[in-house]
Amino acid sequence: MGGFLLRRIGQGLLVVIGVTVIVFIATRMVGDPVKVMLPLSATDAQRAAFAQQIGLDRPIATQFVDFVSDMARLDFGDSLWQRRPALDVVLERLPNTLKLIGAGLGLAILLSLPLGAIAALRPGGWVDRTTVFVGLFGLSLPQFWFGLLMIVFFAVTLGWLPTSGMGGARYYILPAITLALPSLARLVMLVRSSMIDELNQQYVRTARAKGLHFKRVVMVHAMRNTLVPFVTLAGWELISALAGYTVVVETVFAWPGLGLTAMQAIQKSDLFLMQAIVFTVAVLIVVINVGLDILYKLIDPRIRLA
Amino acid sequence: MNVLTRLTSSAAVAAIMALSPLSAQAADITIAIGSEPSTLDPQVRDDGGERAINDNVYETLMARTPDGELVAGLAAAAPTAVDAKTWEFKLRPDIKFHNGEAFNADAVVNSVKRVIDPALKSEQAAYFGTITGAEKVDDLTVRIITSGPDPILPSRMYWMKMIPATYAGDAKFAEAPVGTGPYKFTSWNRGQDIVLEKNADYWGDAASIDKVTYRFVGESGTRLSGLMAGELDVITNLLPEFAQQAPKFAAVSGLETSLMIVSTDNEVTKDPRVREAMNISVDRKALAESLFGGYATPAKGQVVNPKAFGYNKSLPDYVFDVDKARALIKEAGAEGKTIKLVGEAGRWLKDRELIEAVGAYWKDAGLNVDIKIEDFGEYLNQLFDKNTRPDAIFLSNSNELLDVDREMTAVLQSKASSASNSDQEMSDQISAARTETDIEKRQAMYDAITKKSYDLSYLVPLLNQQDIYGFSKRLEWQPRVDSKLLVKEMKVTE
Repeated sequence: MGGFLLRRIGQGLLVVIGVTVIVFIATRMVGDPVKVMLPLSATDAQRAAFAQQIGLDRPIATQFVDFVSDMARLDFGDSLWQRRPALDVVLERLPNTLKLIGAGLGLAILLSLPLGAIAALRPGGWVDRTTVFVGLFGLSLPQFWFGLLMIVFFAVTLGWLPTSGMGGARYYILPAITLALPSLARLVMLVRSSMIDELNQQYVRTARAKGLHFKRVVMVHAMRNTLVPFVTLAGWELISALAGYTVVVETVFAWPGLGLTAMQAIQKSDLFLMQAIVFTVAVLIVVINVGLDILYKLIDPRIRLA
Repeated sequence: MNVLTRLTSSAAVAAIMALSPLSAQAADITIAIGSEPSTLDPQVRDDGGERAINDNVYETLMARTPDGELVAGLAAAAPTAVDAKTWEFKLRPDIKFHNGEAFNADAVVNSVKRVIDPALKSEQAAYFGTITGAEKVDDLTVRIITSGPDPILPSRMYWMKMIPATYAGDAKFAEAPVGTGPYKFTSWNRGQDIVLEKNADYWGDAASIDKVTYRFVGESGTRLSGLMAGELDVITNLLPEFAQQAPKFAAVSGLETSLMIVSTDNEVTKDPRVREAMNISVDRKALAESLFGGYATPAKGQVVNPKAFGYNKSLPDYVFDVDKARALIKEAGAEGKTIKLVGEAGRWLKDRELIEAVGAYWKDAGLNVDIKIEDFGEYLNQLFDKNTRPDAIFLSNSNELLDVDREMTAVLQSKASSASNSDQEMSDQISAARTETDIEKRQAMYDAITKKSYDLSYLVPLLNQQDIYGFSKRLEWQPRVDSKLLVKEMKVTE
């Protein structure tokens, strides 16, 4: 286990470094922050002066060497847009995104297990049909559309909840549901189909024949085997949320998280902030993957980590 | 973003229903702006979010009336020119910053020196390129020194915020601003809101609103929802198609003018007849109606707002005449020839739609138009490219200083920024006008420049856009020509 962890962390570091280097190259190819940041009617001389002030007039090789040595010290430079250390901006916004993902995915995970299991008990029954229908609905609705509908209905028409922004628990409800919906749909479908598979297995029949209570067979034996693909998909949902799904939800609900910040950083061509965001998200994804491997082992001790 | 905005629009259309806003506390209001300021240092960034807040906290030596007329602000009167390179400002006496520091010549000198110091890396330095320094004469008299004659200096001083000499050095300056304005800073809860409260000791007319909370809502559909739900009192950049859905709204002629810069050197467009055809084949009124719901007016043959200094009052509209345009294209032998039109999407309101519509008008006139919608970075590369100019490139110009110099320089002065002509005579005229201190002579010079650009169709000016604001029922406000969100001019009625 210890050797495995070390290896995975080593691999993860390589991934993070690779991703960050790619981002360095990509950001310098797509846009020139000097042109984006100064007023459009600035003259060329003013642009050249500004480029020199922020150090972007240096040869790309020099910039790269500085970048690598700064990164080794976890120094991402000052955000051009925010005028403060880029990592500070990321660390200020990341918790907001994590809270939103926690609420949204937590909801999806908590609801999907019982819903999927109940649907699987009577395939074709009304619970099952409703679940499948709602699942397809959730998968096919674009998130921003759904989010706005929620705002219009619950915040504008009924006036029960705030339209946008971040604050107490009331502020979490609409964005969390919006974020949860497609994940919930995918997770429910997975639990349902793998439960149906498991319930048709020999071991279930054997357990029942031996007089084990059906509830126990479903809840303990079949559920445990369903958990392995479930954890895989839930992990994928978590990673996708971190790597981008939150952008839409945060934009619609004016949620001050990392996704919204990433989009603004791209709009403002803020190279340094983009680098810091990508680095942070890459690290998180590596951590999540290692965590998932450990979780597999806990669920099914037969799985060998190598 | 564009897709998002468009879909949002549909969502909000679905949302339209008559609603009565909830009533909030008496003289406290909430304003939604599009993005959170990244700093509250008033001298560093060129950013509308920061200005929306600091325009209430800080003041400038010169100010503008809601209608755009330049008047004295913190200065006691308009400045006088001591010599060609020196302007002298007398200051209003007995004004204090919110922290008690005196507003005096030292504060002005410090404000000027700080913003032009390269070490500050200020994006605003582009507005103050001619200023080389400032010196104190006595406590209430300051001289601003320019590198050459600068008739625009009074307008520039309307853009430069005055900061307290001592506190500006404090580490907290960028987070907790201190100015002389009618509102003082209360709190900044990052990501959530910024709160200002009325400055009871304000030197000018007392404001009516006691407390203002700014929230940051980028998505226009969400902003409108907030207004309809009664959470917000003022929203900016209301989309034209939603104007009627807001409890109240107001539109005012804004600072943005859209245009096409046409190359006078490229094969097809070097013929003035082709360029004239490109101008008269565009039905600007129809564009204003169909794309902007009427909240835009055809640009009068030039690219600045009628309120700006240097606006040529005598230019007629380009009269829409597609038959004449077709004839001109035929006469020039350009029928079926391909021209490249470069644009971008998502930066300005309805930019893609506008670009595509103009392209379609040109096709109608007989040209074959190759429309290239580039991502913003690539678009800027082409906009500022000195060697290869696209046949036509879209731009939406914002005229913050309400003086034509920057716009002329940007779109008409060869090789300066994004002009597509090689007219050396015009370039010299623009440089000369920039340093002409006699107001009438300077206006006459601009009249000549805009007339020539009009006659030779160097540009295809499109629309002067209006800024649309949404209000709650209780809010009273007349929006300003300079787009500033001045809370001291707002009132609530219960």
